[in-house]
Amino acid sequence: MALDLRAVGHKTWRTIASIQTGVVLLILVVILAAAGTVVLQRPATEPDEMQAAYSPQALHILDALGLTNVFHAWWFLGLLALVSLCIVAASIDRFPNAWRYFSRPYKYPDPTFRRALHPQQSLPIPDEESGLVAAERALHGMGFKPERVIPKDARENHFGIFAERHRISELAVYIVHASLLLIFLGTIIDGVWGWRGYLSLNEGQTSNVVDTRDGSTRTLPFSLRCDAAGQENYQDGSPKKWWSKLAVVAGGRDVLTKEIVVNDPLLYDGVRFYQSSYGSNGKVDKLSLVATPSNGTGAKQTIGMTVNETVQLDADTTVRFAEFLPDYAVRDGQVYKKSNYLENPAAHLVVTSKKAGQDFDVWFPPMADVADNSKAPYQFEATDLKLGHFTGLQVSHEPGQWGVWSGVVLMFIGLAFVFYVIHMRFWAVPVRDPQTGKCSLWIGGSANRNRDAFEQRFNQLVTSVETELKAAPTRSSGVRVATGVAS
Amino acid sequence: MARANAEQQQQPATGMTLIVLVGLAIAFLLFMAFLNVVKSGNLLNENNLLFATLIFYAGAGALYLGFGVTGTPSYLKFASLSTWAGLLANTGAIAHRWYESGHAPFSSVYEMLLSFVWTLAVLTLIAEKKYGVKVIGTVTMPVAIVGVVLMQLLRTEVHPLVPALQSTWLHVHVTLAMLAYAACALSFALAMMFLIQDNLRTDTVLAVTSGSTLAIYAGIVLTRFEKGGALNLVAWNPEVKSEVFLSKGVRLFVTVPDLGWLMALTLLVVASPLFFYAWARWKNNDSFLAIANRAVFLSILLQVMTLVMFIVRARDGRYPSLDAEGLFPTSLAASPFILSGLVGGVFISLLYLLLLWRRSDLQRALPTADVLDRITYKTICLAFPLLTLMIASGAYWANQTWGSYWSWDPKETWAAITWLVYAGYLHMRITRGWRGRPAAYFAIFGFVVVMFTFFGVTYLLPGLHAYA
Repeated sequence: MALDLRAVGHKTWRTIASIQTGVVLLILVVILAAAGTVVLQRPATEPDEMQAAYSPQALHILDALGLTNVFHAWWFLGLLALVSLCIVAASIDRFPNAWRYFSRPYKYPDPTFRRALHPQQSLPIPDEESGLVAAERALHGMGFKPERVIPKDARENHFGIFAERHRISELAVYIVHASLLLIFLGTIIDGVWGWRGYLSLNEGQTSNVVDTRDGSTRTLPFSLRCDAAGQENYQDGSPKKWWSKLAVVAGGRDVLTKEIVVNDPLLYDGVRFYQSSYGSNGKVDKLSLVATPSNGTGAKQTIGMTVNETVQLDADTTVRFAEFLPDYAVRDGQVYKKSNYLENPAAHLVVTSKKAGQDFDVWFPPMADVADNSKAPYQFEATDLKLGHFTGLQVSHEPGQWGVWSGVVLMFIGLAFVFYVIHMRFWAVPVRDPQTGKCSLWIGGSANRNRDAFEQRFNQLVTSVETELKAAPTRSSGVRVATGVAS
Repeated sequence: MARANAEQQQQPATGMTLIVLVGLAIAFLLFMAFLNVVKSGNLLNENNLLFATLIFYAGAGALYLGFGVTGTPSYLKFASLSTWAGLLANTGAIAHRWYESGHAPFSSVYEMLLSFVWTLAVLTLIAEKKYGVKVIGTVTMPVAIVGVVLMQLLRTEVHPLVPALQSTWLHVHVTLAMLAYAACALSFALAMMFLIQDNLRTDTVLAVTSGSTLAIYAGIVLTRFEKGGALNLVAWNPEVKSEVFLSKGVRLFVTVPDLGWLMALTLLVVASPLFFYAWARWKNNDSFLAIANRAVFLSILLQVMTLVMFIVRARDGRYPSLDAEGLFPTSLAASPFILSGLVGGVFISLLYLLLLWRRSDLQRALPTADVLDRITYKTICLAFPLLTLMIASGAYWANQTWGSYWSWDPKETWAAITWLVYAGYLHMRITRGWRGRPAAYFAIFGFVVVMFTFFGVTYLLPGLHAYA
């Protein structure tokens, strides 16, 4: 049996374009996405948390099925691609019909159509022309622009009135579908060419290396410098605001500076920097001290120093800021660093006296077990401790954003048309009964949605035509419509 | 003839009874509240306003129910009046909260419930006045009452907003979400009424309602039953008003003795109507349905008892735990899901009884099936663009805050699923011409998904929306 390629192609096309396929695919997407929210997901959850949550066998099975990283799995993205394909195919498949409907409005209703249409109504009229004029006037009164339908062929008797509004509504659903595709296009561009990462800067630090999500690093063509960063608190101590003063450095000079806060990022060259976290980096920016000579001779001095800095106090005495511990503990006369978190800070100064030929240890806070602060030639009083801070920045490059946001706007426009703009059509056709010779005006209407509201409007039209008929002077029945009529 | 006349004259009289009763109840409760106000010397605080909201909504719910059962128009008038009064108090509570916190009330589950209930009341009044769906309050007001009761439990101190939430887009996002969810709730209520008006068999409703209550109790028993007939409840720290955590994400459970047995017993009784229903279907013998109906009645009594016992035992008191030494307190606020499940179970069963006893009256009071079908569709036409806007504004906000408009976090994913479900409804309706039953089932299913997105995701699944 010869394989008919065209038949196969046609069949495939019909399958893809069918609404059943679309529904099945969407159900699949829904099930898999739901599974992805129930099962813990890999990149967001740490491996040890995963191991704590699932038994090794279960984890193995979940991993093998790809359920631990649903939203980045090739088959999920493939499924979304299939859905897009399905939308495109269904739109292409149905579009010609809709376009015909749109571009060639059905202006003269044939008898079959007239019999089936709902709502419809027949009114007795004295003659064709007066009926048509009444219909025209009534439609004008309702804000429509009625047009006369004149037969192309002289033998036909296809006279009538046609009026419509919001024909664009027939195409609205394609606007929605197109907007969805635009959004998909944007996300695909972001998925392929976009990247996301993290950059942590200490105050004063400059860097152009971003740690990306996939574990590698990315070097930017420009550098970012953090001039200052800070946090403001509510009265109860919870954070109110984080801010960072950032400068973009390119070609050796500052090209852009901005103070960013949460919800207000910095954008440069398609790369955006978001305020994401803020904290102490465990380093000292400046320790302020007041030094008084122990023997009582000499003036008080106010000094400020950073770690490893040495300050001359007098001709033969210097003080060095030896170390800073953000979180300290004392055991057996020794000071240990307990952690890097700023919990319980301690500062270590070393005072060197040439005259005594000796180093004296001074600790803040004073620790009797470790060193006796009072032995040193100077007594110190710590007045202020300024700590260094880092600012944590989320970095992202999303070149497909235009697609996403324009798609969103287009979707609103489309949905507004789909739900709230109704294509309404009215026809009026004079009909003469061949037996009795009596004339009547057939009026029909159709709307593509919200039919109950439309029926009220239709009844309004019928009433208004009746009023017009009563008001109009009766014309002699001898005048036929054919005499060049135009509105 | 004379008898019929007498009955006709009597009806307004019975109508007055309920109004007088509800009026008295409202007056009594307001008086109690007034005593409280006199004691504290503070009239317009949030607690009082919430209490007034609850009273008026409860009164409205009772009157709507009365209208649903008897069809007496005067009930409806007073029910609307009571809803208006409740709405006023509710608005006051929102305004008070807003004023106190300095931000729109959308930043915690409590505040969102406040807004949700408010929107629901507004939509109920609109549906009643504009579309003439007069008994809609029978369904929406009990939902509002459950909402206000939940709020009392979830009451939180005014928390300042963390930096990520300080955005106009947040307000836009959450307002849209509340509007959309309330519209979905309305479409759900309308779809249920459609099913009643569409002559859905009463015994099918029996199967569904007892199936739902069965699911509630099965869920509780399966997850919380402990050896020896105890029930595991989350421990509560009254000082910080929070659950007790053993470590990150791991809650400490206390075992409350005997409650487990009670739950298991109720589970059996709740399951029995379903069993009799299945038996009746299988044997094709409707006499078993009568037994099933009696079993429903019995199950309601037992459910109420379980609810009371649960409230008494879980409200306070200290209980041992299997995971830690010592006794720990618990609170109703620690188990909002069990509580709303129990209340919901009673409510569902009562709705069935209402249908069983007063079906013809109910059907007379409702608009025709055709009208209900169309209004359901219209509410979804309203809900869908709102859902779309909600997702878009959320995406825009996320993009401003985290640098990514879509990160597949559970709440986002479920919002998208909700959107897809309603998109499916619209496609089926517009291109396939689905009307009536299938469309109504779809609308009901959609609301179930919405509820999961709103509550389920927040409490059951982890994610970025932790503060919502």
